[in-house]
Amino acid sequence: MALVNVTINGVQVQAENGALLIEVAKQNGIEIPAFCYYEGMSLQAACRMCLVEVEKAPKLMAGCTLPVAEGMVVRTESEPVVKARKTTLEFLLSNHPLDCPVCDKGGECELQDMTFKYGVGESRFTEIKQHVPEKQWSPVVFYDAPRCILCYRCVRVCNEGMGVGALGVSYRGVNAEIIPSNGDHLECDECGSCIDICPVGSLTSGIYRYKTRPWEMEHVGTVCTHCSNGCKTTLGVRNNEIVRGNNRDKSGINGEFLCVKGRYAFDFTQHPERLQTPLIRNAAGELEEASWSRALKLVAEKFKALAGPDFGVIGSTRTTNEENYLLQKFARTALGTASIDHHRTGDVVTLIDSLSGKTGQLATAEDLYTSKAVLVVASDLSQQQPLLANKIRANVRHHKAAVYTVTPGPVREDKIARKAIRIAEADSLAGVEQLREALSKEAELVIIYGDAIQGEKVRQLVAFGESLGIPVKYVALVDYANSRGALDMGLLPDLGPGYHATAPGRSLQQMLDDPKLAALWVVGSNPLKGGKSLASTNAFVVVQDLFLTETAQRADVVLPAASAYEKNGTVTNVCGQVQRLKKGIETVGSKADLAIIGLLARGMGVNLGKVDADAIFAEIAASVPGYNQLPMPVILTGGAVQTHPVNGGVPPSSVPGIIASARDTLFTTGSLTRYSKILNEVLEKPGALYS
Amino acid sequence: MANSISEILGSAAAIAKGMSVTLKEMMSPTVTEDYPDAPAKFQERYRGVHVLQRDEAGLEKCVACFLCAAACPSNCIYIEADENTEKKRISGGERYASVYNIDYSRCIFCGFCVEACPTDAITHGHQFEIASYNTSTLIYRKEQMLVNIAPNVKAPALPVETTGGH
Amino acid sequence: MTFSPELEAKFADLVTHYPEGRQRAALIPMLMFGQEEVGSITPEFMEEVAKRLGLNTMQVDEVVGYYSMLHKKGMGKYHVQVCTNVACMLRGGAELYDHACHKLGLGHKEVSADGVISLEEVECMGACSWAPAIQVNYDFHHEVTTEQLDTILEGLKK
Repeated sequence: MALVNVTINGVQVQAENGALLIEVAKQNGIEIPAFCYYEGMSLQAACRMCLVEVEKAPKLMAGCTLPVAEGMVVRTESEPVVKARKTTLEFLLSNHPLDCPVCDKGGECELQDMTFKYGVGESRFTEIKQHVPEKQWSPVVFYDAPRCILCYRCVRVCNEGMGVGALGVSYRGVNAEIIPSNGDHLECDECGSCIDICPVGSLTSGIYRYKTRPWEMEHVGTVCTHCSNGCKTTLGVRNNEIVRGNNRDKSGINGEFLCVKGRYAFDFTQHPERLQTPLIRNAAGELEEASWSRALKLVAEKFKALAGPDFGVIGSTRTTNEENYLLQKFARTALGTASIDHHRTGDVVTLIDSLSGKTGQLATAEDLYTSKAVLVVASDLSQQQPLLANKIRANVRHHKAAVYTVTPGPVREDKIARKAIRIAEADSLAGVEQLREALSKEAELVIIYGDAIQGEKVRQLVAFGESLGIPVKYVALVDYANSRGALDMGLLPDLGPGYHATAPGRSLQQMLDDPKLAALWVVGSNPLKGGKSLASTNAFVVVQDLFLTETAQRADVVLPAASAYEKNGTVTNVCGQVQRLKKGIETVGSKADLAIIGLLARGMGVNLGKVDADAIFAEIAASVPGYNQLPMPVILTGGAVQTHPVNGGVPPSSVPGIIASARDTLFTTGSLTRYSKILNEVLEKPGALYS
Repeated sequence: MANSISEILGSAAAIAKGMSVTLKEMMSPTVTEDYPDAPAKFQERYRGVHVLQRDEAGLEKCVACFLCAAACPSNCIYIEADENTEKKRISGGERYASVYNIDYSRCIFCGFCVEACPTDAITHGHQFEIASYNTSTLIYRKEQMLVNIAPNVKAPALPVETTGGH
Repeated sequence: MTFSPELEAKFADLVTHYPEGRQRAALIPMLMFGQEEVGSITPEFMEEVAKRLGLNTMQVDEVVGYYSMLHKKGMGKYHVQVCTNVACMLRGGAELYDHACHKLGLGHKEVSADGVISLEEVECMGACSWAPAIQVNYDFHHEVTTEQLDTILEGLKK
């Protein structure tokens, strides 16, 4: 693009021809204040705050919609501009209540900041301000009309950012206000983006309302523990309680995007049913509370006695990489068993094997935003992988990307898709084949596939991609926060960390079905969910979990574990991007799984070295292919780095495993979210949005 | 001779002058405070233990905006906020302080909190006798600082369980 | 939702008035004509219009809320609109409106119990030269006095 010379406040700068003045000024360190302008959203020019003086223009111009041109001379702080800003603020405040002390936004309010910086102290308006009672649109969204300055940010983020379009502006003049989709309430994703993006305190969050003030919280940047997308979330912590989740600093792979789970469903940490002491099954066959020392001693003794090939270990899809690594290492060395597995939700293993010998073909979340074409196979992304769906929507909006869907039912991506193919999951590949001609004309492609594509079908899909003759990248979708990490760390019966072959053991289902199983150690998983039972009635079962799950109810010893918000470590998201968890709150009674494994090892007299997240990560970095050479400064400062798994064939599995996604949507409840009070309140019928 | 006479006269004059001051002061009112036998008197602006005020309707003026805590240089104010509801109305605004503590082992009586308060809810009273052998008693709770509802004010119509604070 | 053949023809004609891809410009006339037939702008009607113009229902809802002549609930058989904008106000429009309210026992956008008459206080109808003006359905009445208003309202009740 051609560069043009623009003079802003007497400083000559170069900018791309046609770039927006407000952006050019920002890049050169000059702030043009604005409410309605929002990077990445369509232009609105509603607030008149960004007016600037442009030479040879008869009137002040709106900087947010003004493309720069050669020789343009702009003044952003001249007298007419300052006067215009004051007047604009006076108008905006003409009906805005001055209730900053009680407003949730007070302290981080853009209108407050601007008034402080540019506004006049007095208003010439003497009319009584129009008061409208506050409305509750959903359990998590409240709207206070008098505070609203009608910047349309919420309307645009809902329509463009989320693809939902549940908000609009209606009525006119002083009565104009934001209206929700269903008369008096919202039917939407309940993602809360509108609350986050509101420059004033008009839209407020049901879970954070009137709880505290922004400067009173400690802001902890960590990673959401719900789905596999690995959105970075900033927890607002006060008095060892999480009161807010958002990502206002726009850092991380998700920018400021969060879904309903990331934004609100952290309250499971405070659930009254949360386990706080270990439980031991007594002589009467009931679980009774016990001290940590007693429980650990009992488990260590039993583990020592029962160690051997008949010992089963089931790992977790939401514990950290460090915990997963240590668990499999402890199981394979100290417990002498090869029967290690976890709830597998997507076929990553076959994908990595199919791509052996090739590099750079695993897509990152950013690739979905930059790639010229995306193919979605057998997955309802907006419901199950909200960040990836959001990236694709932004890609279509900003880069006009071509989207293709091959799904069994209607999905939200259909609306933006060039071609949407409706076909049964089992025939997905036939559907993909129908797109061959269209796809081969694209410059590049990212293929995303759900759990319906597994085993041989993954190989066929990769063969299809490779036959297109264009650069193709892949994402194998998985369900949970560290599903990918569990695979990478070798929680598999015949593959160790980094997918290298080990002696084969039992798969998860085989463990449950084996009557000879001597002991079962379940860390952060619920394999007996849905009425399943353990074939081995005499097996000694130890469960580490947050809640008394179905599996924990069968256990002989239950050890209360810490959640992801209560520990340090790293997790790997669905695209293989490693991010760091940062401890937000202290646990009450429970311990992190890493500490529990360390204490059990010590009780058994096994030396695992230093058991601490950083030390274990160093060991992972040194020994696990894909995790070596990760740039630590990026991870430590809250960034995401993609791992580069083995660039060679993965040994074929000799153990039949089951890969099945739980197909959790935004509102159906997984193992953690069913303990989230707020999420259960907003529970809605999935699919209602597409009618 | 003349020397000694003038010396005597001079001394007598000096005594008379001194005694005149004494006699004059004997007649004028006492300014010495008789504390602790009598209560201490204060200038109106004296900064003693804080008093949390109520409005005309008897509702708490504090809306838990946390500005006093933010202004406090010794970080001695601790607040927990909660929302007023239809049934439970504590303050005039949408929010009220469910917990409001001041740690007097840290407070330096600088008055910044009073200056910061947008609703004139926190003021300095004249109470100063708060020395204690046990520092834990120096943390004052809201109930200890809140003024009583004035006798001539009809308390707002509240459900029984919430009248009279917590 | 189905409409009369005449209305369908009108709708089909309307969309041809605008350049390709700008069919949403037909929204307001469609709502106006539709309102006459349907009686009011019901949620189903909004959905139908949105579908036909490739909009989402929210966008239609926004427009309906903005324009005062579009009603979400049904108005009377005779819809009396009294202008109280500047010119009419100076010539007694406000008094005329108050008189109508009193006479009919109705307020702004209210319908009489028998559904015959409804009242609305409206902004300028472009009849400033003959202020104060009122409009009953699509009929103008100029320089209306309270007596004339009484006669008109009596006439409507029959």
